[in-house]
Amino acid sequence: MKERPKKKIDLTAYLFIAPQLILFLIFFVIPAGMGIYAAFTKWDIFSSQLPQFVGLDNFKEILTNSESTYYRFFRTGFTNTLIFVLISVPIGIVLPLLLALAINQKPFAHGFFQSLFYMPTVLSISTVILIWYYMFNKNLGLINNFFHTKVNWLGIQPYAWIAIVLVTVWWTIGTNMVIYLAALNGVNKDVLEAADVDGAGPVKKFFSIVIPSIRNQLAYTVVLTTVAQFNIYGQPLMLTNGGPNNSTNVLLMVIRDLAFPSFGGKSISGLASAMALMLGAVMILIALLQYRFVGDEE
Amino acid sequence: MKKKVSLGKTLAFVFCLLFAIIWIAPLSQSLMTSLKSEKEIKMSGYSFFPENPTFESYTDLFSTRSDSTPIMKWFINSLITSTVSTALVLIISSTSAFAYARLQFKGRNLLFGIIMATMIFPSVINLIPLYKICAALNLINTKWALILPGASGAFNIFLIRQFMLGIPKELDEAARIDGASYFQIYYKIMLPLCAPVLTVVGMFAFTGSWNDFLWPTLVISNVDKMTITPGMQILKGTYDVYPSHAMAGGIVSVIPTFVLFLFAQKYFIRGMQLQSAVKG
Repeated sequence: MKERPKKKIDLTAYLFIAPQLILFLIFFVIPAGMGIYAAFTKWDIFSSQLPQFVGLDNFKEILTNSESTYYRFFRTGFTNTLIFVLISVPIGIVLPLLLALAINQKPFAHGFFQSLFYMPTVLSISTVILIWYYMFNKNLGLINNFFHTKVNWLGIQPYAWIAIVLVTVWWTIGTNMVIYLAALNGVNKDVLEAADVDGAGPVKKFFSIVIPSIRNQLAYTVVLTTVAQFNIYGQPLMLTNGGPNNSTNVLLMVIRDLAFPSFGGKSISGLASAMALMLGAVMILIALLQYRFVGDEE
Repeated sequence: MKKKVSLGKTLAFVFCLLFAIIWIAPLSQSLMTSLKSEKEIKMSGYSFFPENPTFESYTDLFSTRSDSTPIMKWFINSLITSTVSTALVLIISSTSAFAYARLQFKGRNLLFGIIMATMIFPSVINLIPLYKICAALNLINTKWALILPGASGAFNIFLIRQFMLGIPKELDEAARIDGASYFQIYYKIMLPLCAPVLTVVGMFAFTGSWNDFLWPTLVISNVDKMTITPGMQILKGTYDVYPSHAMAGGIVSVIPTFVLFLFAQKYFIRGMQLQSAVKG
């Protein structure tokens, strides 16, 4: 008699998890497996032919064959992505931290400031670019007219990178800011007051009390921001279209162009998958580093 | 003491104000541009404010002028896609979370562990095969290609399950004794109590679907079936000729998520902070 109700729970439980599991299998597990396998194949996703296993050929071609166009594509794409990550991540951590510290002082209208800085994160990248594109216009844009300059923002370096980073910062820092605000709320007030009594200045308090208390959130946002910025795609695609001279042609644009050629060319999905796998591996590595870092501290 | 405090506050205010100007500038500039006539922009060079404000660009969104950039069609496509997506995400992740939180079954912990571990997997690896799968299932150029792939997200299950674990078990045990089925417990007891976390998950699902950019450009090639976020890229192409129209389209495209933000920003912010608290 004891067996029956238990069996019944089993079946009900499987019914509860089935819809998610089925979609998860079709739209996550299978493509994930295919994505890894495809990196070792020659494959045109628009043909009905099955991918053809070629071992490590794709990786050799991309990483070592300096004669190959794909070697150059990958190098350019990866370098440009890395440049963007290296510029945008420090700004994406420090600036929202400063804004959070300022808002945490509860100045006049701090609620408004918090909402305003967070708001762009609910917008789509394409709308954000549409809004900003006009700002950078050489003759009719607000920036050149405000500063009385004639800068070709999107056509010349380093201005193209400045524009891309500026837009990214505007679009994304609200997320980190509200995370820091919550963290700052949790900083022990008694310890801060004790430091006041001991005559510690604001800078000293910041580095020896505030930073250590929010280090978990700092580690989390560093990883989150880095991984997010490795995924950069919409900003250069729509602002500069990879220019000038391919200097902002990022890896995700390269992968997309190879797998989904815009003018009916042949899809080189195997090579593109190999590039995607390497980009993905970098992101996983960064995410794993966080667990190590946080684990070590505790 | 009092003076010192207000100095800190004043400095903080000035700092925030400086950035507030940068944050407001592009938004207000696009709003102003959308209120100019195309003629004014071409004739009179740069000015921040419109000389003769007009809603012409907005009313034109409904006319035949926007046949190549059918913004209202895109808007409705997006509205349907995002609403169905949100409903599906809420149903699928809450039933699944209920089972992992409350029911006993073989392989529960292993399955849950596997699903959670996949959160670290970067979506760039799936992208190309996912297209092939949608093509094989005949989903290309349909809304299902936009709705189904994102519906099984692991993090939503995690958040809802976590919330359910905080609800006292005595509640469902009492209902069991009264003869309620597991489905009734899920539907009549758990769902209403989970309203706060479901609101957070639903809002992120809606904005996420609304703002999806790369994936729709791959699976939707028919202009009439497009959603508004990839549509903005096409609209940007017309920008050199019709800047005021492009800006009006841009303003219209943000209305749903912006309104959602205005009315429920504390949920957005709490949701963000919740994520950092559990992941960090």
